Order: sequence, then structure tokens, then C-alpha cells
Amino acid sequence: MKLSRRDMLTLAGAGALGGYAALDARSKPAQKPAGRSAVAIVKAASYTGDLVSRMRAGIRECGFDVENCVRGKRVLLKPNLVEFDPHTCINTNAAVIAAAYEVFESLGAAEVVIGEGPGHRRDTYALAEMAHYRDEIPKFDARFVDLNRDDVSPLRRFADREEMYFPNTALRADLIVSLAKMKTHHWAGATLSMKNYFGLVPGSVYGWPKNELHQIGIPQSIVELSRIFRRSFAIVDGIVGMEGNGPIQGTPKPAEVLVMGSDLPAVDATCCRIMGLDPAKIEYLAMASDVLGVTEEARIDQRGEAIRDVRTNFELIGEWRHLRA
Amino acid sequence: MGDYLVCRLDRLRSTQNPDGGWGYFPGNKSWLEPTIYAALALHGETAADRAWSLATSWQQSNGSWRPAAEVAVDNSATALCVTLACVRGEFDEPFRRGVSWLLSTVGSEYGLTQRMIGAAMRLFGLTPDRNRSLTGWPWKPDEASWVEPTCHSLVALKKASQEFSGQLLRERVRLGEAQLFDVRCKDGGWNYGAPVARGVDLPSYPETTALALVGLQGRSDLGPILDRAGRLLESTPSPLAQAWLRIALQVNGAKPAAPPAGEPSRDLLLTALEALAAPEGNHGLLKARLA
Repeated sequence: MKLSRRDMLTLAGAGALGGYAALDARSKPAQKPAGRSAVAIVKAASYTGDLVSRMRAGIRECGFDVENCVRGKRVLLKPNLVEFDPHTCINTNAAVIAAAYEVFESLGAAEVVIGEGPGHRRDTYALAEMAHYRDEIPKFDARFVDLNRDDVSPLRRFADREEMYFPNTALRADLIVSLAKMKTHHWAGATLSMKNYFGLVPGSVYGWPKNELHQIGIPQSIVELSRIFRRSFAIVDGIVGMEGNGPIQGTPKPAEVLVMGSDLPAVDATCCRIMGLDPAKIEYLAMASDVLGVTEEARIDQRGEAIRDVRTNFELIGEWRHLRA
Repeated sequence: MGDYLVCRLDRLRSTQNPDGGWGYFPGNKSWLEPTIYAALALHGETAADRAWSLATSWQQSNGSWRPAAEVAVDNSATALCVTLACVRGEFDEPFRRGVSWLLSTVGSEYGLTQRMIGAAMRLFGLTPDRNRSLTGWPWKPDEASWVEPTCHSLVALKKASQEFSGQLLRERVRLGEAQLFDVRCKDGGWNYGAPVARGVDLPSYPETTALALVGLQGRSDLGPILDRAGRLLESTPSPLAQAWLRIALQVNGAKPAAPPAGEPSRDLLLTALEALAAPEGNHGLLKARLA
């Protein structure tokens, strides 16, 4: 295959990033999901409890390969920081991020950083301040990277685009931990660990509110991002989620769980079942099913709590009432 | 010159990259946006000349500017380069090609087909999300217009009108200002450019409300919005919003209270904007009126 000068430059830039596996997003056949996936549901009634122990238990229960995926690796924690409204619960709670930081550091990660690129052009650090990230996460400013304004490198082929730029912090990470919030979403139905990766797209290149992803298609973009950033683990903050007109204007909904696993579609499908939604009706989960992960209940080894014991129906706006399981 | 401004200008001088630009944060590669604002803040100094030299090397063959050396994407920061060219009096070919690119770039919501869709929607009693006979500017071509690139483009074209006359430029300014009013939030301010989603009103933000006031400067109907901006300045905890609000108020003739003393942030875009926004800063360079 003859490489153009542009390809060479792309590869050169990519090489400098330490050999990210998916620089050409389609250069390797998609790794088919295993026959079954484990997802842990851990009960957590509030943010003041011992979240570190609960996360450790969840990671252990879902059989995550800590030795090969965490020890000595660069870990990026990707919370969901969008807006701040004191009357609701838009963002991944600071206590969940602080606990995840402690857990992955204690599991032997060589480096743990926190990174987010909010979807709206706001003052990211001021949002973090209002969301109490600076108060509750030790040395937050030193550990945080604004992914909207990080240096970037191109990946070839993203959906129908010839190339797409991503933050170097995300490309360099050996593992990305999607610290998502369990919320309904007015355009996607639900926003969970996969949709959370919209924050990996840099506003400095694509603007805000990341219209490029909407042009490609929201479900398609969610699946593409999850396919490219395959070295992932999900911890969904459902201690207090959001129902109704999410992801910003909905109302708080306590589900009192953390949901974890390394198969993101399986984690999101489990979250949907907890929220009383049929994951098969969520377009991006239907697209990802059997391509990126498993979503059928029969193929998910549910560890920890049983879904029936924690299910709590999230209110849905009119456009999404058909999602009710 | 007050300490507030001095320490911000010093921070900018000490963090300029060897190529003449600035990254968003110290040690990062140069990006167009912080480079242009730093060059405005340091206007008249050698550092600003070096920044301009770098920026001109990033102009692409179609007249647009790329946002960083290695990012080959047409980008709305082209408007910032046109503004800086006007400030520097660099009205040669790069300036003209930049203005031409801005004049030819419209939001994807605009155009004959989109207007027909809008008309058909109204015929069936549906309300289009925005008036499709208006357009501002997208972040990048073939996408919808949004508030921030529209504001920067309005400033650039108003400043460019001193040298670049023509009916098209005036029409684009008219359409862009009209679209800004069309996407204004019900609460009286602006967010990124979507006042409603799924039939529900969305709130405005202080940052984008300030930017809208910068883009709309020169109009006589901004009084109540400027009053609102003054109140936002007192209430917002965001340093970025405070900087933009100060710039917006000053380019519209108001005199906001001086910012409280404090060290500059490690965020170099914010540092440059705070330097511009200081009472003795170069905010006047962003004043723009149609000739």
C-alpha cells in the first residue's frame, strides 16, 4: 500500500504517541465480543459511604484484569462534567471521581489523570469548582486535563470522515475509565458509559456543542468512539441519576448503585434495565450489540446485586416513552 | 499600568513558545486562539510580531486558517486572524483571502433547500428550530451556525469594512446580527446557539452572552442587555465569563469595576483575555463598527 505524505505525517504523529492501537480506526478487524460479559452492580446508598471499598469489590466481582490493564499503565478517568445547576445532578459526583482516583492509584497504575471536554463552551475550571471537584478531589488542578484544549493527533477514518483529531491525553492512555452519570438524554434516550465519550472530542478543533458528532449521527458517533477507545472500563454513577429531560434539565433520581464492567455495551444495557428501559430500543446499543459487546441479558453475568432488586423506573419525556421495558 | 495587567502580560511574555505562538497551557503546542488573543494583549511588542508571523504561516490555500500547525481543518478562528490583521494594519493578500473565506462561509441551516424546508414546516404548523433565512458562521464549514463563531466573524467583518467595502459584507453582518437575535434565549441572554431543545427553553450562559454583546457592538438597542451583562459580572464565579463580560461592557462604552487583584491562571487563553479586559488593557482593539 502506498502511503501519501499526509498518511506519513499522520503515522509519524501517531508513533510519537506511543503506538496507540487504533490509529487507523479500521485497520484492524473489530474484536468480536466474548460470548459472555460480567457486569457488577454495587449498592451505594449515598456519596458519603465508603465508595473506595465498593469500587474495589465491583472491580473484583466483574473479573477485571487488573494485572494487565492497570498495573504500570496510564489511566485516564473520564467523568461527565457538563454544566452546573445546584437544583439537579448533572455531573458525575466528585466523591465518585475521588474514589476512582484512589482505587486506580492503589491498583498500581503508573499514572492516573482526570480528563473531560465539556460539550458547551464554558469555563471548565469554574464548572469543576461549582461541581465541588476542586474541594473534594485532592490536587484536582494538577491532575486534570481539559480535553477540549489538549494537544491533539489525528486518527484516520472515523465513521464517514477521513480523519478525526483526538486529545493526546486520551490517545496515550492505556486505559480509559468512563465515569459516567446514569441519566436520560433528550437526543439519545439514555447517556451512560458510551455516550460519555463525546467528551473525548476536542472543541478546539470541532467547536461546541461538537456539531461534527451530530452531523455524523449521534448513535453512529457513540459507537465509533467506543470502538476506537476499546481499552476501557466503566463505572456508572447511579447513586443519584437523572430522569426526565436529561442530560441537563432533568430531575434527580436515586438508583443507589454503581454499575461496573469492561464491556461498555453490557454495562450500559444493564444500566438501562435498572432504569426500566429496554436496551434493544436504544439505537446506539442496538448498533453496538454483538459488535462491541453484549447487551442481551442472558449473556451478561450479573454480579453483585440482581437487577430486579435495584430496578427503579426513570421518568421519560414523551419522545422516549417507547423505551420503557 | 496596574499590577493586575502587568503580571498577566509578564506571564504571556514568559510562556510564548519558540515558534512565536502560545498553547492553551504552558508547555503545550501553539494554537491559533490563544496566540491571537495573546498577540492582541501584547500588541506593539516584538512578541506580537512573532505571533503574527506564525499565524500567517497557518493560512490555507482557500483563505481560512487552521487552528494549529498540525491540524488541517478549516476553522472559524480565521475570524480572529482577520481581526488581528485589521489591528495591525496588514491589509494585504492574506487579509483579503481571509475576508473572502468568511464571506463565503455560511451555516448549513442556510440556503435555498433549507429555506424551502423551513417554509414547508411552517405550512404544516411546525416551528423550525431557527429562522432558515438567516445565517451566521459555523465552527467549521458544512455545519450549523453557532453563537461564538458568529460573534468573532461579526467583529472581524465590521473591522474589515474599513478596508473591504461591498454589499455582501454588509449583508453578512446584517444576517449574522439578525440570527444572533433569532437564537437569543428566553431569559434574554445567549447560550451556544440553541434557545430551545425538544420544546423546552434552555438557559443562557454569561460567557456567550458577553460574546454576543461583543459581536453586536455598535447597535443602539443593546441597553437592557448591557444592564444584564453588568449584573452577570457581579454574580458569575467564572473568571472566563468575567473577562469576556468586561471586554463586552467596555467595547460598548461601559466602565465596569476593575477586576480584583489576583495571580494569573495557568490557562493562557484566560490570561490573555484578562489582560485585554483590564481597564488599561487592549480591549479597545476589539472595538468594531461598520464603516
